[in-house]
Amino acid sequence: MQIAVSGGKGGTGKSTVAINLAIALREYFDLALADLDVEAPNDHILLGVELQNEEPVHMFMPRFDYSKCIKCRKCAEVCEENAIITMRDGTPFLMPTLCSGCRACEIVCPVTGAILGGEKLMGHTYLTETPYGSPLVTGKLLEGEERAMPIVTAAKKRAKTLNKELLLVDTAAGTSNTVSKALEDSKLLIAVTEPTPLGLHDLTLILELAKLMGIEAWVVVNRADIGEKKRVEEIVQKYNAEIIGEIPYSEAIIQSYVKGEPIILTDKKEAKIFKGLAERVASYLG
Amino acid sequence: MQIAIASGKGGVGKSSVAASLIYLLKDEYSLIAVDADADAPNLDLLFGVERWEEEKELIGAKVARINTSTCIRCGICAERCPYDCIKIVDGNYVVNELTCEGCGVCKLVCPVEGVITLEEVRSGIVRKTTTKYGFPLISAQLDVGRPNSGKLVTEEKEWAKRIMKEKGIEHMIVDSAAGIGCQVIASLGGADVAILVAEPTPASLSDVKRVYKVVQHFREPAYLIINKADLNPGFKGLYEFAEEEGIPIIGEIPYDRALPKSMVMLKPVVEVFPDSKASIVLKEIAEVVKEEILK
Ligand code: SF4
Ligand code: SF4
Ligand code: SF4
Ligand code: SF4
Repeated sequence: MQIAVSGGKGGTGKSTVAINLAIALREYFDLALADLDVEAPNDHILLGVELQNEEPVHMFMPRFDYSKCIKCRKCAEVCEENAIITMRDGTPFLMPTLCSGCRACEIVCPVTGAILGGEKLMGHTYLTETPYGSPLVTGKLLEGEERAMPIVTAAKKRAKTLNKELLLVDTAAGTSNTVSKALEDSKLLIAVTEPTPLGLHDLTLILELAKLMGIEAWVVVNRADIGEKKRVEEIVQKYNAEIIGEIPYSEAIIQSYVKGEPIILTDKKEAKIFKGLAERVASYLG
Repeated sequence: MQIAIASGKGGVGKSSVAASLIYLLKDEYSLIAVDADADAPNLDLLFGVERWEEEKELIGAKVARINTSTCIRCGICAERCPYDCIKIVDGNYVVNELTCEGCGVCKLVCPVEGVITLEEVRSGIVRKTTTKYGFPLISAQLDVGRPNSGKLVTEEKEWAKRIMKEKGIEHMIVDSAAGIGCQVIASLGGADVAILVAEPTPASLSDVKRVYKVVQHFREPAYLIINKADLNPGFKGLYEFAEEEGIPIIGEIPYDRALPKSMVMLKPVVEVFPDSKASIVLKEIAEVVKEEILK
C-alpha cells in the first residue's frame, strides 16, 4: 500500500509533514519513507541522519562504433530528444545532455554493434536506517544532470523491494510528470498548502493532478493563521477533497526543522497535530 | 546583462527577494523579468498581473497512445518502456499519459504496425505582459503531468531576448525554478551572474550547494543572499560555504513578518512595507547589485 505527501512550492512544509507522519504512523504500520524530491532531497536532514547504502543510477547512452556505422541516419531520425545530430555525410554524433537514455536509437539501428551501450551516471539512491525504526529511501539527482525521471523511477523501485506494509512517498513540488511518477499507485494524497494566494494556486494544480490520477486527496493547511482559510475551503470543496489538519505558524516547528529533530518526538503541543493526522490516515487505510 | 536568482529549492523566499529587487531596480534600469518556474509561477501574482497581452501554446511534448482494438496484448511495450508507464487496466495495455516521456520506444518495439501512435500534446503556455510598474514580464505555466522540460524556459528566455532587442532593454532578471533539473539548467544557462538565496538551515544549505555546482558548471560569478538570517544563530554552515567558495554575501535579511504578510497581499515587500527590517536590507542589497553587478 502506498500513500503520498505532496504540495505546491517548496517550503510549504511538505517534508515536515512527511517525516512526522512517517514517525507517527509507525504505531499502525510497518512502513518505509521514500524521499522522491530528487532535485532537493531533505528528509534525511530533517530526520538528522546521514545517507547510507549508496547505489548508482546509470542511464543508457549510445556510443557509436564508426567502423560499423553505415551512416543511415535512422538513429537521429528516431530520437525524440534530438540528441543525435548528423554530419552532412550522415555520421551521427551524440549531444549527451539531451539524451534521455530511452534506447530508441539502439532499437532502430540496422547494424548490430554500430551503437554500443554506454552508460552515464545520473545520480544515486540511498537506503538509510533511521533511529525511528522505519527505513528511508532517498533519490538524489547528480548536480548538472537534467533528468529527474530515471532517479525517481529507480528510488521508487528500491523502496518497493523493501516490501513494507506501507510506503509513504514524499514527492517534489509542482505537478510535472516526475511528480505523477512519484504519486502513481498511491491510495491517498496528502497535499500540504499555505493559505496564501500562491499556495492556493499550487493547491489547485495538485488537486487537479490527483483528480486526473484518480487518487483520493486530503489537505493539510500549514501556517494556517496567515492568509485566508476560506479560499482553501472553497478549492477543497470544488475538488471533493477534505481538510484534515491545520498547523499554526510555529517557532517550535522551525526549530525542529533547523535542528533535525522531528517535532513529533517532543512533548510540544504541535506533536499532537501529527499524531491526529496519523490516526486519521490509519483509520482510512484500515 | 542577464541575472538569474536561484535557491536550489523553493520556500526560502527567493521569489520575494526577486520581486523586491526587480521593484527596486525598475526605475533606474531598463529591464525585463522572466519567471522561469513554469511549475509554480508566481511573479505575475506578486506584480498584480491581471491579464496577459500575449499567450503562446507550447506544443511539442508527445505521449504514446495504444489502440486497444488492434493490440494483441503481447506486453512487449510494457516490458520495454524505460519509465514503466504502460500498465494493464481492465485487461488492456494502457499508457499513463501523466508519466509518459514520449520517447517512442513502445511504438518501435510493438510487433503490430499502427497500434501505438505518438500524439503531440500541449506542454504548457508561455505568456507575456507589461506590468503596471512598466516593465515587461514573461512567464510560463506547465500543464499538469507534463514533462518539466527546460524547453519552456528556453522559449521564455528567447522571447525575452526578442523583446529586449525590439525595445532596447538592457537587463533580464530571471527568477529560476526550484530544484536543479532541466528548468534550472535552462534558466542559469546564458546568465552573466547568479544570485543565490538561502536560509540558515541544513536543508537550505544542502540545496544551495547543489545549485552552486550547476552555477560553477556555467562558470558564472555568484553572490549569496541569506534570508531569515537571524533565525538560527548557531548555524554557521552558510558562512563557511560562502567563505570556502569565495562567494560574496551581499545581504542578510532578518526574519520579518512583513515578508509573509506582503506575500499574502501579493506585493513586493519593499513596496508595501518600505520601512520594515527586511525592506531596509533589501534596499541595501539593491545598491550592491547596482554598484557591483550592473555597474
Ligand atoms: S537513447 Fe534515446 S534520447 Fe538518447 S540518443 Fe538514443 S534515442 Fe536519443
Ligand atoms: S542508425 Fe546505426 S548505422 Fe544508422 S547512422 Fe545511426 S548508428 Fe549508424
Ligand atoms: S513513449 Fe516512451 S515513455 Fe511513453 S509509454 Fe512509450 S516507451 Fe513509455
Ligand atoms: S507491444 Fe503493441 S501489441 Fe503488444 S501489448 Fe503493446 S501495444 Fe499491444
